[in-house]
This record gives sequence, structure tokens and C-alpha cells, in this order.
Amino acid sequence: MIENEYLLAVTPHQTPSGPLVLEVRGELDHHTAHLLSRAVDDAAFDDSGVVIDLTGLTYCDSTGITVLISAYQKSQATGAPLSLAGVNPDQMRVFSVVGLDQVFTFHPSTEAAVASLRK
Amino acid sequence: MTVSPAGTAPAVPVAEEARLAAVRRYRILDTPPDGAFDRIASLAARFFDTPMATVAIVDTDRVWFKAAHGLDGVTEIDREPGLCASAILHGEPYVVKDAGTDARAFADPLVQGEPGIRFYAAAPITTADGQRLGTVNVLDTRPREPTDDQLEALQDLAALVMDELELRLSAMRTIAAERDRRAEAERLARALQRTLLPPALPDVPGLHAAAAYHPASADEVGGDFYDLFPLDDGRWAFFLGDVCGKGAGAAALTSLTRYTLRAAAIYDPDPCAALSNLDTVLKGEYQGSDPRYCTAAFGVLQPLPDGSHAITLAGGGHPSALAVRADGSVEPISTAGGQLVGMLPDPQFVQTTTRLRPGESLLLYTDGLTEARTVDGAMLGEDGLTRHLTATAPRTAHELLRSVETLLQQMGDGVSDDTACLALSVPAPSTPSPQENR
Repeated sequence: MIENEYLLAVTPHQTPSGPLVLEVRGELDHHTAHLLSRAVDDAAFDDSGVVIDLTGLTYCDSTGITVLISAYQKSQATGAPLSLAGVNPDQMRVFSVVGLDQVFTFHPSTEAAVASLRK
Repeated sequence: MTVSPAGTAPAVPVAEEARLAAVRRYRILDTPPDGAFDRIASLAARFFDTPMATVAIVDTDRVWFKAAHGLDGVTEIDREPGLCASAILHGEPYVVKDAGTDARAFADPLVQGEPGIRFYAAAPITTADGQRLGTVNVLDTRPREPTDDQLEALQDLAALVMDELELRLSAMRTIAAERDRRAEAERLARALQRTLLPPALPDVPGLHAAAAYHPASADEVGGDFYDLFPLDDGRWAFFLGDVCGKGAGAAALTSLTRYTLRAAAIYDPDPCAALSNLDTVLKGEYQGSDPRYCTAAFGVLQPLPDGSHAITLAGGGHPSALAVRADGSVEPISTAGGQLVGMLPDPQFVQTTTRLRPGESLLLYTDGLTEARTVDGAMLGEDGLTRHLTATAPRTAHELLRSVETLLQQMGDGVSDDTACLALSVPAPSTPSPQENR
């Protein structure tokens, strides 16, 4: 687990024979975004895909959005499918305003995202 | 320090002045007890097997103990000749084997009074430029004969004290320099930020314009921006937006964005084209490890013969503008579907048109406003802003800004990001006319 003053925790989980899940908990902003950025850099983007679990995300500013777009760019470059799971309605509204609702694949929960990627 | 008239007071010798200046430079006097120096004092006592040891700094008129091992409650003594005060006059260890028979030490308060010192050995704490700040001392109440080894160890301990003082001084200087650099960087970022906002909006015939910038924090510079300027065909262009990130990097990106949009408008004032142009420039400038984006609304105003203004507005990932109509209703001028500028492979920008008639106004804002939390903890959102504007019914650009200002004040700490607002209004006919149907 990587932590910055307990504000953000990013925990990678490798699901058995399935996608890599990056569980993000806490505040994703310009103080903490480098933690997720590093986790995305370190993550293997392969055919089994990557799920970023945002169920525990309490705040996301523009720097946080930059890291999520970087993850999207990495998935485009590697061909690895990427989805976001558990985005709350307020955050979803922010994603819609900046037009990212058309960019990411969303799932209500990590389970749903993992199931969808295993198909 | 005061300067006495010549002859009325004994002058401090030049050499002593230089020594005192060195003592001041290390800023050690009257600092709290400290583990590192305590350990050095107790090591000295152990080497000599003496009950007492001190790390002493000699001030103008006192000997101050940075560490005192075995001398309960003594923190400083008068600077009488005898022990420490005399020891700093010597470049090598100063030893009083038996103060009872040594005329040099007889007057020292530690010899005369409690605890009745008989043995004393000191090694000077000497700076690189030869100034002796004080001494590391060992003391005993009975006479002793120190070995050469012990005296060498005492000199090593004094050198260790000096190393520690140098380290601390360099740390203090580094911290001070770092603080200065940070203050300077923040000052520059704020100055740069101010240059990004037009000091005053131009006078547009037949239109009122007003703008405001509400920083959420005095320490962190955000990157909201806006502008309003003439095109060369009688039309006017305006934009408002928000770059991602904070601090000097965001300010630099804001500057690039603002000048790119102004230049783009000269080249091709089509609003979507201006945003596409900006997208290309940002991708070129910020490719690689430090990607950056902004969201922006870009509009063109065309004055019409009836006094109204036709507006073409393009949005790139930016919240809807809100029009306050003549009947008091609030209508979103949405560019939903438009995507953020500068980071997506093939972003879409969405364009819409509207018309501002006399008595109507338009508000552009950054998401610091709509993402703010109201007192009940919910995000204000476009709905909350619309309700507030409907309730306050602003009629002009200035009233619109005042209404937003009131809302920001009500939300207080719920506002966590900078907010920029640009308001445009077409003045209502000066003579109140009976209600007209459109």
C-alpha cells in the first residue's frame, strides 16, 4: 500500500486469471495524484485489462483527472481494456461536464467490471 | 549594541568583537537542551571518569552551558577569569590540575562556591576561521592528573561540537534559503496570475461586462482565466476557462492558454476552431510525462440592429453558461458533449447559439463554483446555481456577479477551488415600458 499522509491509498489487487484492480481510496488531488500516477506506471496493462476502483474516492480534482486520462492513454497505447468502477454520482457529474463520460467505460462496481472483462 | 562616547567605557577589543560575532552567527545561545550536546558532555565525563562535564559557550558577560552533565540546575555562570573564560584564550587544552594551588583558577565562582571545583580541563570549540566560541569541559571536586590520551579525546569532542554547530548552521541557512525561494516562487506565481487577468474589461458598445476572480486559497495559485476583446469585423470574442493543477506550473499553462486563444481568434474566430487550435498547442507543449489540460468556453458576440447580441458559444469540457432571461427565468446555454482541451486523442468541441436581448444577461463561470459544497454538504451543481439565480433575479452583469459573490460567501469553506466569473448583459431600455409579449 502506498500512502501520503493517509489522504490517499492506492492498493493493487491481481484477480486470479483476470484483470488487475487498482483500488483508490481517499482524496485524489494535486497533493496525492502522484501516488496513483506511480501505480498506473507500475501496472502491467495487458489483455486481461485494468480496473480502477473508485468506490472509496472521496474527492478528485483536475490533477486527479489528469492521472485517469493518462491511464486511458496507456490503455489506448497497449490495447489493454480499462474501466472505472464505483464512480459516485457527484464525480460522474464532473466527468460528464469535461466530456469524459464518452471516453471511459464505467461499471457500478468492481465485481461488475471484472466480470465484464473476463467475458 | 550601543556605541559609547570615547573614554567613558572600556572598549571591547576588536578580536573579542570578532569572536562574539562568531558566537552570534551560530545562534546557539539560550537554545533548549539538546540530546546531541548532552551526549558529548556525558562522553567527556566518561573519558575522564569525572562527575561533571559541560559544553560551554562564552558570551559577552557570561559562560552559558549548552549541556551540563552532573551540574544540577546550573545553566550559566558569570564570565570571571579562571576556568572557561580563561580557557577560550588558549588554542590547546587548558588544564587546572588543582585549583586550590593554581592562581589562574582561584577566583572562578565554581571554585570559590558550590560545587568547589579542584580539577578542570577544557578543549576549545574553534571555528574554521579560528574563533573560539567556548569549550568542552570536564570538572571534578578533587585534584587530578589527566593523560595525553584523555586530553586528545577532549579535543576530538570539542571538534565534534563544532561539526554539530556547523551542520545546524548550514541546515538553518538551507531552510531559510528554501523559505525565501518558495516565497519568491509564490510571489512570482501570483504576479503572473495577475497579469493573466485583464485589469479592466473593455467597453463594448451596447453591452455591460463584468468579471471577478475568487481565489480559494492565498497560498496556492490556481489557473482560472477569462478575457473579452474586439475582433476586427465589429464582433467581439470572449473566453473563460480553467487549467488543471495549481502553482507556478498552472500559471504558466494559463498564460499559454490565454495567448493561444487570443491568437487563434485572430487567425480563425470560429469558436470550435479556436478550441481545436488550443488543443493542438497544448498537446505540442505538454506531451510526455507532464500532460496538462484545460476546460474552456469560447464565444463570439455579434451586435444586432435591434440592440440584442447574437452569441455563438463553444465548449471544451466546460460547465454550461447560464442566461438570465428578461422574464427572470434561467436557461442553461449548454455545450454538453464538448470535451476537455489538450489531452484527448481526438476531442470533440460543441457549439451552440443564443441571443441576448435587452434586459438579459449571461454568466460564464469555472467549476470552482458548481463543485463547491453548500452548507448541507451537497455539491452545488448547475441546479443549485440555477435555483440561486432564479431566486435573486439579477438584471445586469454587475447584479449577476454580486449574486454569485453572495452565494460564494454563503458556502464559505465549502468553496475549495478558485472561481472565475464573466458576466455579460444587454441593458434594458432606459424607460420602463409596459410588459411586452415577444
